[in-house]
Order: sequence, then structure tokens, then C-alpha cells
Amino acid sequence: MPDLRATLGRLRLCNPTVLASGTVGYGPEYASLIDYTTVGAIVTKTITPEPRAGNAPPRLKETPGGLLNAIGLENVGLERFLSEKLREVATVPAALIASVAGFTVNEYAELTGAVTAREEIDAVELNISCPNVERARRPVWDDPEAVAEITRAARATTEKTLLLKLSPNTADILSVAEAGEAAGADALVVANTLSGMRIDVEAGTPSLGNTTGGLSGRALLPVNLANVWKIAGSVSIPIVGSGGIADPGDALEYILAGASAVQIGTALFADPEAPGRIVDGLAEYMRAHDIESIEGCTGLARKEKEREWQRTTAD
Amino acid sequence: MARLTRKVSIDPRNYLFTFEVDRRFPKPLPGQFVQVASSIELTLRRPFSVAGASRPGEVELLVELRGKGTRTLAARHEGSTVSLLGPMGNTFSEPSTGEVAVLVAGGIGVAGLRYLAHELAEEGKRLVILVGARTRDALLLGDLLPSATEDDRVRVAFSTDDGSAGHWGTVCELLESELDALGEDRIASPRLYCCGPPAMLREAAAIAAAREIPCEVLLEEIMACGTGACRGCVVMTKHGYRTVCSDGPVFDAAELVFEEAPNA
Ligand SMILES: Cc1cc2nc3c(=O)[nH]c(=O)nc-3n(C[C@H](O)[C@H](O)[C@H](O)COP(=O)(O)OP(=O)(O)OC[C@H]3O[C@@H](n4cnc5c(N)ncnc54)[C@H](O)[C@@H]3O)c2cc1C
Ligand SMILES: Cc1cc2nc3c(=O)[nH]c(=O)nc-3n(C[C@H](O)[C@H](O)[C@H](O)COP(=O)(O)O)c2cc1C
Ligand code: FES
Repeated sequence: MPDLRATLGRLRLCNPTVLASGTVGYGPEYASLIDYTTVGAIVTKTITPEPRAGNAPPRLKETPGGLLNAIGLENVGLERFLSEKLREVATVPAALIASVAGFTVNEYAELTGAVTAREEIDAVELNISCPNVERARRPVWDDPEAVAEITRAARATTEKTLLLKLSPNTADILSVAEAGEAAGADALVVANTLSGMRIDVEAGTPSLGNTTGGLSGRALLPVNLANVWKIAGSVSIPIVGSGGIADPGDALEYILAGASAVQIGTALFADPEAPGRIVDGLAEYMRAHDIESIEGCTGLARKEKEREWQRTTAD
Repeated sequence: MARLTRKVSIDPRNYLFTFEVDRRFPKPLPGQFVQVASSIELTLRRPFSVAGASRPGEVELLVELRGKGTRTLAARHEGSTVSLLGPMGNTFSEPSTGEVAVLVAGGIGVAGLRYLAHELAEEGKRLVILVGARTRDALLLGDLLPSATEDDRVRVAFSTDDGSAGHWGTVCELLESELDALGEDRIASPRLYCCGPPAMLREAAAIAAAREIPCEVLLEEIMACGTGACRGCVVMTKHGYRTVCSDGPVFDAAELVFEEAPNA
């Protein structure tokens, strides 16, 4: 059996598949359809300090090859998460990553400290990139210094694995990634949804209640794959690829580009059995290519590219 | 996986599908829905009410063709397999003794009430079925509901927007006159079950509120997970947003906050 284990900071996963924030709620909602024993970890819905009601409907709009969502971070808030939801989350037989988002640096620190203090939670993911929350100035996800400050503050509160989830809605994702690494993130999730919208021409209004939303699903894959490729060349912490992964081949593309693990989100809606199928496919690929551990796959396509480059420059 | 065993075209826009489901598939309750993966090119499954499940191992869906998902489903051949998840969601309240179940369906709303109608008719409950459609042709759906009985235990009435059959007007006008008639019958009190376009549901809910009659509506929203996880399918209620997929799809009309009609 090929070795599928993945390591993100101190977090050890039985395999490199992680279920993406916001797509499985707090976990139990999907327990009758998803076999959680087949996944490495799940990420909870993003938790904010106070409960949030979320955006006005419609919150979803399908678009060719993808999905636009504008949920608006509907969640129960930190207090109810800890007192009520955590018990339910803990029933999920996979590693548990809590996703958090604050509106100030301090809130990120407080949230991180509060969730990682609980033994049920194995790691925390900083969501700096939700495009559905309005901010007055330059968005945080586009500002390397602001991201560094948030990461540093969160880092100071925990020894558990700290994942930083980037946004593709920036011209310079590399600077944000490097700032996050320097500020102490253990791993980077690359990346969240891409901003987009559709218009219902009959109604003459935007399709989403919030006007714009985040594009996920297959249409997002090439964008975030290129981001992983770009970032993997310059940072040394592990990368978790995310965006449009539905098949083993999709996951492998991210891994060969430089990711150590992958997140699966939107694909679950059509196929709750996608994670198991992807894990089986990874193992099959490794057997077929005589690769012993999945870690050995990380960045393989880069090595090929580098060798090719060396060959051409040697001529 | 489910096997499509029968596909009947009711009219050019509407199909009745019969699926054979495997033994682990729980018996659906009226009001519940299934999530159908109709094409691998689509990101989301499509939700459809269980329109019949009277025979064990069988699920019927009544589907109006709207876009790609419904059209690819209608293009499936009998004998092909389709992934069908469910049953999902809640169910309707039972009418209590002395209550007359009044079912109000607009257009394809027949799909959401058909299973309930047959179950109630089977149980011998008193039933008034009101079906509204645009034209006489669109009324063919109404034939899929229980027929009227001579003893008036099951009453059926139709309305069309163009007056080509039944009452010329809306199904809610029909509802008002049926409720007036029932009002003279002091033994029975009505309980409403509604499914149809948003404007019809809003009006039916207003009628129910004015007459202080219990009223449940089956709602539709675009869905992703179908399990309450993604928070994508919410409707506003007096207690805040609730998900149509897991808190519904059946809601007490009195709990809902209906949006203003765009052109009212
Ligand atoms: C609980 C529930 C039960 C339903 N039961 C039935 C049923 O028994 N029979 C039936 O024919 N239809 C039913 N629907 C509606 C059905 O899901 C949609 O018609 C279907 O998803 C359209 O898919 P499509 O790909 O053909 O159309 P699309 O191309 O996706 O959309 C075409 C049009 O339909 C609208 N639409 C899309 N999805 C939905 C949706 N989920 N609900 C309402 N409108 C939508 C779109 O806004 C658009 O205007 C139900 C919906 C819900 C939520
Ligand atoms: C309905 C929905 C809700 C989401 N909610 C969150 C969220 O709360 N926090 C977050 O960091 N990402 C959220 N995401 C983004 C996903 O976690 C993921 O990064 C993105 O969808 C890309 O991956 P995918 O194409 O596999 O879905 C959400 C995505 C969807 C579709
Ligand atoms: S469809 Fe996801 S919560 Fe209803």
C-alpha cells in the first residue's frame, strides 16, 4: 500500500484530502452521505466572533463548470461554536481544522486562541479571503502587511498547526504568501474562490442577492493551480491546493505543481463520495508510477520542468 | 444508484419518471425530496419532490422541463441509471380528526402535493384538491392527483388563467370560494397545504392568515448540499434565515416572511 500520509506543521493526516471550509458545515450535517473515515481532515464553516445571519438570498448560482456563492459567512459565532457545535464536530472521525475570520487583528488572535485551546480541534485555518464580507479600505487578502500582522498575532496564541488561506483576488498573491510564511504560518491554503457575478436578464437583476459572490468548482482549477505553481517556487512551508478538485487527476495536478495536500469542496455537492474516489485514485497512480509516498509526488512536475530547463541551457 | 424504469410525457413540458431504488433507500415521507445528478457537466444536483412512493422500492418524480438539468434528465432512456440521493427534508403535518385537508397546487406545484394527496386519500381523509394552471393543456398534471369521489370525501376543482377549463381566474380565488363553502359546514375545519409559484404561496398564506387557518407551504430554492451544511438555500422566517433543504422544504406559512411582490 503506498504511503498517503501528509504533514502540515504538527498536524499528521492519514491522507492528503481535506474537506473545504463552508462546504460541509460543522460536519455532522453531511455524516449520512460522506464517509469521513476516507478523508484526512475537515475544515469547519468559518467562525466569526459574533453570530452572522449571512446574505440575503439567492445565495447560489450555478455557472458553466462552477458555482457562485454568496453565503456571507453565516455561522453560529464563537460562543455557540464552543458550547454547542464543538461536541457535534468532534463526532467526525477525521482531523478537525477550525476556520476563523475576524474583523480586526485582535479578533483573529482571540479566535485562534479560543478554538485551539480545545483538544477536539487539531489546527486552525485563517480565512482572510472571503470575498463576501465588505471592508472599508483595501481588502485584507490583498495587503501583505495586514496579512502578516494577522498571522503573527494568531501564531502567538497557539502551537497547533496554523494554516493561512489565501485569496486569488489579488494581483500579487506571491507577496501575500511570503508575508504569511515569514509571519509564522505552518502551511498555505491556495486558494479561496474568485470574485464573480451573473445577471438574471428576465428579472433584470443580479442573480445573487449579494450581487457578487465567489466562483468555485472546475472553472476555478486552472487559476488556483497556477497560483500554487507560482507560490511553490518561492515558499518552503507546505501548500494545500484548493479549487475545482473533483477527480484524482485534479488532485494530482495540484500535488505535482507543489501542493502537499488538497481541499475538496464544491465537488462534494454532486458526489459526496468524491474524497474516497480521489484517495483510491492517488494510490493507484502511485502504484502505477512506482512512487512510495505521496510526499514524493509533491512538486514532481516542477522537477521535470527544471530538468528540462537544465537540458536546454546545457545545449 | 437508481434505475429509471418508466418515463411518461404528460405533455411536452412535463414528465413523470419512475425510479427503482435500492433496498437501503428509506421510504420517503410526503414533502420530502431527492437530489438528482442528471448530468456530469452540472456542478449541482437538482432537487425534486417525491411525487409518489406508494410501492416499495419505487420513487416517482414529476418534472417540468426548465433548463439543462431537467432536459438532460428527460433525455435519459428507460433502463439507464441515475444517482439519486435522499430522501431529504421534512414532511407535512397530518390533518387531525375533523380537519379537511385543502391542497392548493399551482402548475408544477402538483408535484410537491401528489404523494401527500394519494396518501391522504388512501387513509380515507376528507380532501379538497384545487389545481391552478395557465391553460387547459397545462391542467393535464391535475389528472395525476386522486379523482373526486361521489360522496364528496375527495373534492377536486380546477382553475385556468385563460378560462379554457374550470374556474376562470386564479387558484386562490377558487380557494376563497371553497373555504366559504366549508365555512358553512360547521363540523369540519380546513387545513391548507400549498405548493406552487411564490406569488401564489404568498396569496394563499395571506388568505390562511386572515381566516386563521393552519397553512403549510412547500418551498423551492436553488440548492447545493441538500443537507443544511452549505447554508445556500435559505428563506427568511420570523426566527431568521432557515434552510429549505433541512429545516424545510415544508414550512408553516405563519412563520415565513414573504418578500413584497416586485410589481405589487
Ligand atoms: C424542495 C424542492 C422540490 C422541487 N420539486 C420539484 C418537482 O417536484 N418538480 C419539478 O419540476 N421541479 C421541482 N423543483 C424545482 C427544480 O429543482 C428546478 O426546476 C430544477 O432544479 C431546474 O433545473 P434545470 O437545470 O432544468 O434549470 P436551470 O437551468 O438550473 O434553471 C432554469 C430556471 O429554473 C430556476 N431554478 C433552478 N433551480 C431551481 C430550484 N432548485 N428551485 C426553483 N427554481 C429553480 C432557475 O432560477 C431558472 O430560472 C423543486 C425544487 C426544490 C427546492
Ligand atoms: C457554499 C460555499 C461556502 C463556502 N464557505 C467558505 C467559508 O466559510 N470559509 C472559507 O474559507 N471558504 C469558504 N468557501 C470556499 C471553499 O472552502 C473553497 O476554498 C472554494 O470553494 C474552492 O474550492 P472548490 O472549488 O473545491 O469548492 C465556500 C465555498 C462554497 C461553495
Ligand atoms: S442546500 Fe446547502 S444548506 Fe440547503
